[in-house]
Amino acid sequence: MKSVNTSIRQSFGATLFKLAKTNKNIYVVDADLKSSLYLSEFAKVFPKRFIEVGVAENNAASVAAGLAKTGKTVFLTSFSCFSPAINWAVIRQSICYNNSNVKIIGSHSGLMSGSLGATHQMLEDIALMQVLPNMEVFSPADAIETAKIVSAVSRSPKPSYIRLVRPDTPAFFPPKLSFTIGKSQILTKGNITLLFHGPIGHLAFNLSNTKENSLEIINCSSIKPLDSKTILKSIKKTGKLIVLEDHQKIGGLGQAVSSLLLENKLAPRFIHLAVDNQFGRSSKDYSKLYDHYGIGIKALKLAVKKLN
Amino acid sequence: MALSTSDLKKLSWQLRADLLDMVYQNDGHLGGPLSSLDILNTIYFSDIFKFSKKSPKPTDDNFILSAGHLATALYVVLAHKLYFDKKKLATFSHFKSILEGHVSTTVPGVSYSSGSLGQGLSFAAGLALGNLLDKKNKFTLCLTSDGEHQEGQTWEAAMFASKYKLKNLINIVDHNKYQIDGSLEDIMPLDDLAQKYISFGWTVKEVDGHDYKKLLKIFQISKLSNYPTCIIAHTTFAKGVSFAHFDYKYHDLKNLDPTLYQLAKNEISKHLN
Ligand SMILES: Cc1ncc(C[n+]2csc(CCOP(=O)(O)OP(=O)(O)O)c2C)c(N)n1
Repeated sequence: MKSVNTSIRQSFGATLFKLAKTNKNIYVVDADLKSSLYLSEFAKVFPKRFIEVGVAENNAASVAAGLAKTGKTVFLTSFSCFSPAINWAVIRQSICYNNSNVKIIGSHSGLMSGSLGATHQMLEDIALMQVLPNMEVFSPADAIETAKIVSAVSRSPKPSYIRLVRPDTPAFFPPKLSFTIGKSQILTKGNITLLFHGPIGHLAFNLSNTKENSLEIINCSSIKPLDSKTILKSIKKTGKLIVLEDHQKIGGLGQAVSSLLLENKLAPRFIHLAVDNQFGRSSKDYSKLYDHYGIGIKALKLAVKKLN
Repeated sequence: MALSTSDLKKLSWQLRADLLDMVYQNDGHLGGPLSSLDILNTIYFSDIFKFSKKSPKPTDDNFILSAGHLATALYVVLAHKLYFDKKKLATFSHFKSILEGHVSTTVPGVSYSSGSLGQGLSFAAGLALGNLLDKKNKFTLCLTSDGEHQEGQTWEAAMFASKYKLKNLINIVDHNKYQIDGSLEDIMPLDDLAQKYISFGWTVKEVDGHDYKKLLKIFQISKLSNYPTCIIAHTTFAKGVSFAHFDYKYHDLKNLDPTLYQLAKNEISKHLN
């Protein structure tokens, strides 16, 4: 099945703009990346609710937290390699410890940033964010799910982080499925449990049609809180697990799931496809990087074969 | 052998032509690299500082590019320095190319990998301090963008350099007045940048960043300072491609229209030979 590519970033900008029309409490604090996050329209129509701090991610995070304490829902927008990467300790104190209603939007995550290279291929953001008390962490699969997640967090008073990516990616999230914080969705039923977060899931989705690749694909876009119930139930049934993510192995979804498994005395056959303790590099085409770092379609097929 | 002012000027157009091709073929930043090019050219091709020909040597002066998105400008300069084959410029940001999309030490002559703004001046200060402590007679030059002066860390570095009397540190600010989403004036004004550096205890010089005669003179003088030196180079965003001057849309190029490319190429070519 060939799916069309759509922009997760554009979906974010359009959704926030739409929400802001009715929710007058929505504010943006941006660090010189408004056009990249499709917020130009928001800035034009709601100039008082669009705060531009310049290239200053530390200041941005505390300003956002202070602003939120005056009763506002604040979206802090940048790339994940700057926010939450540069301003992690600021987020820890000003946003998490003070429990401020700030939604951190980090675009350009993962190897998907392609030509921009290692500095802009943020592979540690999930690790940085899921470790923080009070923080919720989401990684949408595509443009459609992005819209659903942005709407959901806008209704929650909690701090959260939403991981976005640079390129247009295949639309594969079933439009009728709903998103609920703390819930994952079973996309296909099968003999091997495959957990993923983010657009990389389309690789598994494309593979799942044939008989020899019987995958039970579960979208873990809600990384924290994690839907332990759905995940454990599937793994108990299949006894086989693949976790696929465009993130470092250390601190990613795979590790969160492995401790969950041990705590529940489960030991499935397990293959974790993630970037293993390396920095990224440039490539115009990110699929070359996926192959190079062992998280591409070849590695996935091999993993399925091994577990079959 | 050092190049004369007119040789430098001539070379600068060749550098611009190569930079334009590189960015046209592979996308990348344009406004900042073009505004900083004459500064880089002066640093590497006058004999004021020591940057060996053909391959960098440990005894060379240090150069740190803090604003990693200006990589293309440094890459063309280093290619003309013959540190690597000029043909490689066409592979900018390709898979397995040495020319990473943001400045990287995979390229001969690059001593600091970067892409996140605001850290380079601190790194340069650390290098300069190390050289001072080791009594090495070396200068550390750092090129910063004006946008990254919005980062607090830049000012932490400025304070530090002053405390440790890093007279071997020269920070050149490419002051083109633009950043990604608009002018600095609109996004976050720096107000009087020179005054700020002066109050941090630096020697400060302002110069037209495209005037070779003046650039040469300022660099000479800055070697004599007893304090860290900040050279504020007033530059034109996208210098040499007039339709892009002062237009922040050309900060970062994706799929430049072929007719615009031809227009830019013609304008640059006029200055060649
Ligand atoms: C810490 C950090 N935040 C954000 C960015 C994204 N970014 C790339 S270039 C740029 C601003 C460019 O303005 P300036 O630094 O003045 O460079 P120039 O306009 O001269 O190219 C920004 C915000 C970045 N590279 N680093």
